[in-house]
Amino acid sequence: MSPEIFFQIIVNGLFTGGIYSLVAVGLTLIYGVMIIVNFAHGEFLMLGIYVAFWAWTLADMDPYIVIPFAFAMIFGLGALVQRGLVQRVLDAHPLNQIILLVGVSILLIGLVQFFFSAEPKAIHVPYETAVISAFGLRFAIARLVAFFASMAISFCLYLFLHYTRTGKAIRAVSQSRDAARLMGINVNFIYYLTFGIGAAITAVAGVLLAPNHRMIPTMGQGYSVIAFVVVVLGTMGNFIGAFLGGLIIGVVEAFAGFYLGGDVKIIASMMIFILILLFRPAGLFGRKRT
Amino acid sequence: MTAENPATTSNNPIRSWLKDIFLDWDRTQMVICFLLVLFLALTPLFISSTYYLGIIILATIYAFIGISWNIVAGFTGQLLIAHIIFLAIGAYTTIVLFNTYSISPWVGILIAGVVSGLCGVVVAFITLRYGLKVDYFALFTIALMVALRTLFLKWDYVGGAVGMWFSLTDPSFDKMIFANKAPYLYIALSLVVIGLLVQYRIYRSKMGKYFLAIREDDDAASALGVNTSRYKMLAVVIGAAMAGIGGGFYMMYVTFIEPPQVFNLGLNIEIVMAGPIIGGLGSLAGPIVGALLNKPFAEIMRGALAEGRSGNSLIVYGSFLILTIMFMPRGVTGVLHTIYRRILNRLNPRNLGDS
Amino acid sequence: MALLEVSGITKRFGGLVAVNDLDLSLDKGQILGLIGPNGAGKTTAFNMISGFYQPDEGQVIFDGQDITGLRPDQVCKLGVTRTFQVVKPFPQLTVRDNVMVGAYNRTNDRKESRKKAEKIIEFLGMKDMREMAAGSLSVAYRKRLEVAKALATDPKIILLDEAMAGLRPTETDEMIELVREISRQGTALLLVEHVMRVIMSLAERIVVIHHGEKIAEGEPQQIVQDKSVIDAYLGEVEIDVTG
Repeated sequence: MSPEIFFQIIVNGLFTGGIYSLVAVGLTLIYGVMIIVNFAHGEFLMLGIYVAFWAWTLADMDPYIVIPFAFAMIFGLGALVQRGLVQRVLDAHPLNQIILLVGVSILLIGLVQFFFSAEPKAIHVPYETAVISAFGLRFAIARLVAFFASMAISFCLYLFLHYTRTGKAIRAVSQSRDAARLMGINVNFIYYLTFGIGAAITAVAGVLLAPNHRMIPTMGQGYSVIAFVVVVLGTMGNFIGAFLGGLIIGVVEAFAGFYLGGDVKIIASMMIFILILLFRPAGLFGRKRT
Repeated sequence: MTAENPATTSNNPIRSWLKDIFLDWDRTQMVICFLLVLFLALTPLFISSTYYLGIIILATIYAFIGISWNIVAGFTGQLLIAHIIFLAIGAYTTIVLFNTYSISPWVGILIAGVVSGLCGVVVAFITLRYGLKVDYFALFTIALMVALRTLFLKWDYVGGAVGMWFSLTDPSFDKMIFANKAPYLYIALSLVVIGLLVQYRIYRSKMGKYFLAIREDDDAASALGVNTSRYKMLAVVIGAAMAGIGGGFYMMYVTFIEPPQVFNLGLNIEIVMAGPIIGGLGSLAGPIVGALLNKPFAEIMRGALAEGRSGNSLIVYGSFLILTIMFMPRGVTGVLHTIYRRILNRLNPRNLGDS
Repeated sequence: MALLEVSGITKRFGGLVAVNDLDLSLDKGQILGLIGPNGAGKTTAFNMISGFYQPDEGQVIFDGQDITGLRPDQVCKLGVTRTFQVVKPFPQLTVRDNVMVGAYNRTNDRKESRKKAEKIIEFLGMKDMREMAAGSLSVAYRKRLEVAKALATDPKIILLDEAMAGLRPTETDEMIELVREISRQGTALLLVEHVMRVIMSLAERIVVIHHGEKIAEGEPQQIVQDKSVIDAYLGEVEIDVTG
């Protein structure tokens, strides 16, 4: 393998991984605060990409302009799902939570299919296939933007969680629901907020994919599975872990795709996932088991 | 002490026999189950449409698979989400034995049960050896399913991406191929009857109490002398073996199999999880009640709404799952149980049966 | 030879030594009290004896047999069982089914286990509640159920972890009577208790631990007069002694 190919694979992997990071950060945030595995998580990404498609067909809007709208819309939807549904099963059996979220996922897929049909869709922008060449490597513009935007959003979210009052409240709830409540934090409000943010940044990941990805209503499920892998790899509920885990899985997949072919690359992440579960169940960033 | 219920003093044997059954919720549930089985057995008399019979047969198979999952997830509370792995392995075992080695499905299905059971041993061993906690176990089974799908896609021995199938042109009892639907229904019903009896025996025995104790509190169970690892593994193996048998028969009924179709979370929800959860997870009647509601409902939606815009059936099915969880968290059987206790209370406040 | 001989058990969590070189010994039918301030390592000691934790050092000998490092269910089969400080009922099962799980420790037969469960439920005065879901019991009866379950396993020793914490005075008195009756029937008991009144009236001997180490051992009257005990511990619970 020549160094060019080697570095090209790493670049491609990081570009994919950036999106994974964003999706996984959303998932880990929701898990960290509510201890609930969001089985409908990938569907929020799917909704994001369809919002971009909708804006493009309706008003010829560029996907990057759509980002704030998509964020706001899916934030509202996420908060609503939390308030109306998830909130009521927080203390129920985990299986009931899973089925409920699977129901949400099926419902969302159905709704999108109803409005946009099950046919693959794509949007077309001038920079769709534009590429920059540098250092002997090729960088697709849309993916470059997606990567840096993902980094930036994750970073902003990190700052938000650590340096704002609300962000600190979210972290307080994730550490102890009861203690946070005693300190006068409105825990339910934090829950709506967290689910909203988790869903919204995942939707933004979808919008970022829009310029050069085809979309189908069931595309979210693959991302859900990847997000599970990443989140376990990076320790459930750990922000930095999810972020780095996304990049790692992106690169691993890129190499697996190169050696094994695109259709079986997922087995590499699955093997990593299973090995992590077995030998380091607390994830790369968790405390060691006693 | 209040006065004795007149019925207790009655010497009428039929009456005391009825009391024996109906004062006991477990037995009452079994009566409900067998009434449903009887109803299903009679359906070929008044339904001639092969389409509707087909739905009923699938619902019956789903009931059996649901029972197998109920024992693992409902009784011991283990989050074995991708239970469909065992169904798929059973189906593949049966068709490989049939196509490649010309072994009759009657034997093949039993071997499928053994193979799936052994896979269950492996899965349970890994889980227990490494002490996977609830959520992680759920995700582990999903990852395993995705990995197996990829593996099977590349594995030519089991047909790879092309899948495996057989032709229905040459019906014979030996090959478990029939010209009409009724025999399939009666085989499926026999499986369900066996499944119900196995489930009931387990539930009422020491094993069943231990299963429930593990579900309710692992540590407390082990302080009372329950070898929790052993019983958890036992539940997974029993469930896996039953799912393997069910999968073998499913294969013979649907005639075609390919990896993306069976190693699939969507089908897993429909075939494994939806029934018991709608019916009432952990209850005796849950899997069959749920399967009979879930499958026909999903099919009718698919059929009736196929004319309309695409996505209709998904919308309705998704809402159905959500509404069930929101308004009947203990499933239909949970609602029935509440009604049952209310009736008993009204008849005689002191005669509360086993709950 | 004592029924239970614990010698030199030690448990460390990271840098923290939760229990250090602890010796205990308990004879058949005896009641031994284990006291100490919060975080002294009482529950950790329980966890090591009952098989929930593996000791880093030391041995637990029961009935002449080394049971160090056995699983809780194996320890229970041999005749040592425990209750939990934070009670652990099987909430969705009935009271009778809860006790039956314990009773199945010595039998495989449904009828036999059921009969035994009924007997124990009656002994604990919970007959009217046997069809109720354990999750719907009051705190006092949950504590009792905890004892019932343990008793049903036919133990030679029961480790009672704060079985009376949070009970009202009359409820506590009833529980003391029950424990005394259990002991009279030949079962040895190891009590961890915060309520001094309970320990004083029940225990034949008391072991005091502080920071994971034994600081005193003796009869109740000796213990209350022991200078080091008073310094380390009793000052803190004076209210309980009088109440």
